[in-house]
Amino acid sequence: MMERGYWIKSKPIYTSLVWHEKATSHLVVAQGQGGLAAIKLFQQMHPQQPVTTLYEHSDIDANFAITLKKVVPEDLHLLKSEQEVVSLLKRIMPTKRMGLRIYVAGSEGFIWAVAEAVKEFGIEDADIMKELTGTLARSIYCVHCKAITHNITTNIGKCSSCERMLFVRDHFSRHLGAYMGLMVDAESPGQLPEIEEIYP
Amino acid sequence: MASTFKKETFREDYTYSNSAEAIKRFPFPFPEDQYMYSVNIEPHVKGKVGSVCEFTFDVDEHYVAECLDKKITLEQDPGRYQALPHMMDAQWDFLELTMESLSQDYPQHFSLNKNGSVWTWENKPLGIKDTFTFGDSSTLAMEPFDYMGRQVQGDFVLLDHREETLFADAGIVTSQADWSLAFNVGMSWREWHGPVPRATELGVMDRALKHLLNLQFGSPVRRLNWTMTINPRLDTSPENYPQWGGDRNAVNADNVSDLVHLRVELQTLFRLPRSNAIMFSIRCYLINLKDLSTYSRWAKRLHRVQKTMHPDLIEYKGMTKFHPLVVDWLAKFDDGAALDVGTHAE
Repeated sequence: MMERGYWIKSKPIYTSLVWHEKATSHLVVAQGQGGLAAIKLFQQMHPQQPVTTLYEHSDIDANFAITLKKVVPEDLHLLKSEQEVVSLLKRIMPTKRMGLRIYVAGSEGFIWAVAEAVKEFGIEDADIMKELTGTLARSIYCVHCKAITHNITTNIGKCSSCERMLFVRDHFSRHLGAYMGLMVDAESPGQLPEIEEIYP
Repeated sequence: MASTFKKETFREDYTYSNSAEAIKRFPFPFPEDQYMYSVNIEPHVKGKVGSVCEFTFDVDEHYVAECLDKKITLEQDPGRYQALPHMMDAQWDFLELTMESLSQDYPQHFSLNKNGSVWTWENKPLGIKDTFTFGDSSTLAMEPFDYMGRQVQGDFVLLDHREETLFADAGIVTSQADWSLAFNVGMSWREWHGPVPRATELGVMDRALKHLLNLQFGSPVRRLNWTMTINPRLDTSPENYPQWGGDRNAVNADNVSDLVHLRVELQTLFRLPRSNAIMFSIRCYLINLKDLSTYSRWAKRLHRVQKTMHPDLIEYKGMTKFHPLVVDWLAKFDDGAALDVGTHAE
């Protein structure tokens, strides 16, 4: 049970996207349900400065893509996978100048994959505005075999690589975009707590 | 320091032990009857002759065996050494600080000869002698931080100073109290300390950070931290938790004083001159309850501290399972007489 007043200090706080008025240019990166957050952003206003928008979507979210095409007047890129988003980011980042602001909306895993991709271009975490959308599912880093398992919606998750059952320590790495997972039954083999879906 | 180095192990058969001299100089961390997180940072100045703070880096009777244990851990898991590319200046700073300190403080064991930028380093206890060019990594068999990190007891983290905080951007970590370098590398101060209960609420971490951001070259600082470990095991990493976690089940009233070790970390922090990074050194000292009770003052004090420990801290330090056994075993030493403030043995 969570204690009152308890919070995970290493877990970032996500907000709603709002334009930075003092930017020299903007980069909006969204995924899936994050398309809605991007639409809301463009409905606030269309900024004076140049805007580039990347949107990764599946067929289910195709409607957001249609709407985005209407509200985003320039430089919109529709993509099919996180990998495509990351490669495109690495291609366009060298052309960006000082004063660029970045806005990301999507799952926690997506947000930190984008943050990691732009880091090598000198973009610090604090320069990126982040909105968590769609799912509360978590990525878990297995501290034993070092694999990352995505989209875990339960309190205890199975490592996709070594298959150990992992409990999740309240420790989040922005670098890995994942929580730390440790073998849950190392001290008492075979004894698992009840598995509950608490991150739908 | 000891003139001979012991042959002993920190895993499997656990032959590690402390001599009478090592017990007497143990860095006992409790000056008062109650314990709570505090900043407790003091200047890392020369301590008394024979104490663990006599020199910049303490080399004791466990030196050779600890370096060997470190080597085994690094072979099994190369991820215990990490250095982000921008940390190369800090790596050379580290090599310079360790080589200069060790050769000055322990000339019978270590020597450093400089001929311009060509340096010759000799480490007699480990049988190492190398000549290299300072600043040129290609002249060493491994990165400079890795090279010297293996030749000093304890763990080392190099903290990069930017954005008004500190980032753990390099480390060599093989004797940690349940934290993972591979997970923490690249983290900021706040991210890193996220899981420490009650400390963030108390503002301890923010105050400590403020203090460290003002750390000056030539004025290192130190503090003690502690936990308890079953068996004299240096590598209590989360990576190997499946190997050591079960040891907690083995503790009973008969073996508690042999198995349960007070684990004290002497943490020292140095500002480095070229990189402006901070070197964070975490040196681990282990003593079982039996040896610790050689000095009744320590046994009494430890009893009182443990008896009044906050349950969140007991849980955070992984002591929940065996903690009542520790308190019961120590109780027999405690006559309730008042103890004066201080960590001294007698």
